[in-house]
Amino acid sequence: MTRVNDAVRHGLTELLPRLRRLARALTGHAADADDLVQVALERALAHGAQWRSDARLDAWVFGILRNAWRDEVRARGRWQQVLAPEEAGLGVGEASVERHAEALSLAAALAQLPDEQREAVALVLVEGLSYAEAAEVLDVPVGTVTSRLARGRAALQRLLGEE
Amino acid sequence: MDISQQDLQAYVDGELAPADAARVEAAIAADPALARQVERERALRARLRAEFDPVLDEPVPSRLQALLRDDAPAPQSSKADNLVAMPTRQPRPTWQLPVYALAASLLVVSVSLWLRPVFTPVRMEDGRLVASGPLNRALNGALASAPDSASPVAIGLTFRAQDGRICRTFEQRAMAGLACRTHDGWTIEVISHARDAAQGDVRQAASAIPPEVQAALDARLQGEPFDAAQERAARDHGWR
Repeated sequence: MTRVNDAVRHGLTELLPRLRRLARALTGHAADADDLVQVALERALAHGAQWRSDARLDAWVFGILRNAWRDEVRARGRWQQVLAPEEAGLGVGEASVERHAEALSLAAALAQLPDEQREAVALVLVEGLSYAEAAEVLDVPVGTVTSRLARGRAALQRLLGEE
Repeated sequence: MDISQQDLQAYVDGELAPADAARVEAAIAADPALARQVERERALRARLRAEFDPVLDEPVPSRLQALLRDDAPAPQSSKADNLVAMPTRQPRPTWQLPVYALAASLLVVSVSLWLRPVFTPVRMEDGRLVASGPLNRALNGALASAPDSASPVAIGLTFRAQDGRICRTFEQRAMAGLACRTHDGWTIEVISHARDAAQGDVRQAASAIPPEVQAALDARLQGEPFDAAQERAARDHGWR
């Protein structure tokens, strides 16, 4: 077992808030999101030797997180409950009642998107990645990212009743 | 002029080269339907950011930080077939949190950033200083025309800079600065010690601004700062 080096460890520590934000957008549930971050970190540490220092650490670990969500964490999570308001873990903290209602409809709308559209929306619109960076995370051509993003946007506007 | 949906999306996402962006802007100016579409897209993005950005300011659970500590045991290769169950989340009494935070901070060797989003108003992101925590919330939500006396941050002037970004001056305790809105947050352009005189009446921001901040403001300002209505409209449109 190769110990990952300190640079990777510290880089991941700095990325923790962003990983949690991305996981929240993908899962729609606070507890699922932190479970997902935990699995992604374990995988990243186990495979840290595969990270090339000329690649962006954030793109690398975002890709790990996305794959972990698709093939592992969702299956045992609370994903199916995201539409049930009392179970959704969004809008905790200072959120007002009004904001809470908005959060749920946004979470519900995101939950209805196909995986690939939700991923594009989360990476570009929530995480602020460029198209090229999102394409690297998803391991697809840039044109694929833009078409998924366009479809995801249109679907969200429709679901949120803003079109 | 023919603007494709793809052009429009790339424009909204800041992916176009300046010449192409100017072409799209001209088309938007000439076509109210396009302008409405751009507004809708920006509103959607602002709504998503408003929903998920607060996660950045939440304390990171100690179980996640613990995974990355220097003395943490190397994890086993996590294959799907050897995973049994997720570790249970044990709610911790809140009095323990500072103890964990202190212990962890002593273990992290480098100047890691994990506490900063909680306790300090700025953090580094891709080599830029970005507003965080209460400062970020104030820049996103506060209006100089409707000051919130409970907020540690006072907003001064809001204006559109020559490069098209919306910028705001702010004061937080002993600091004053200028932040400009980029697609993924507020970049701190300049930050300085606030003059003592600013303590008394932070609303008179224009007169209390430190010289460095005033110079940065003068270099960027075009036209007049926003009035109350323009400030509110800019906020409602996600500072685009």
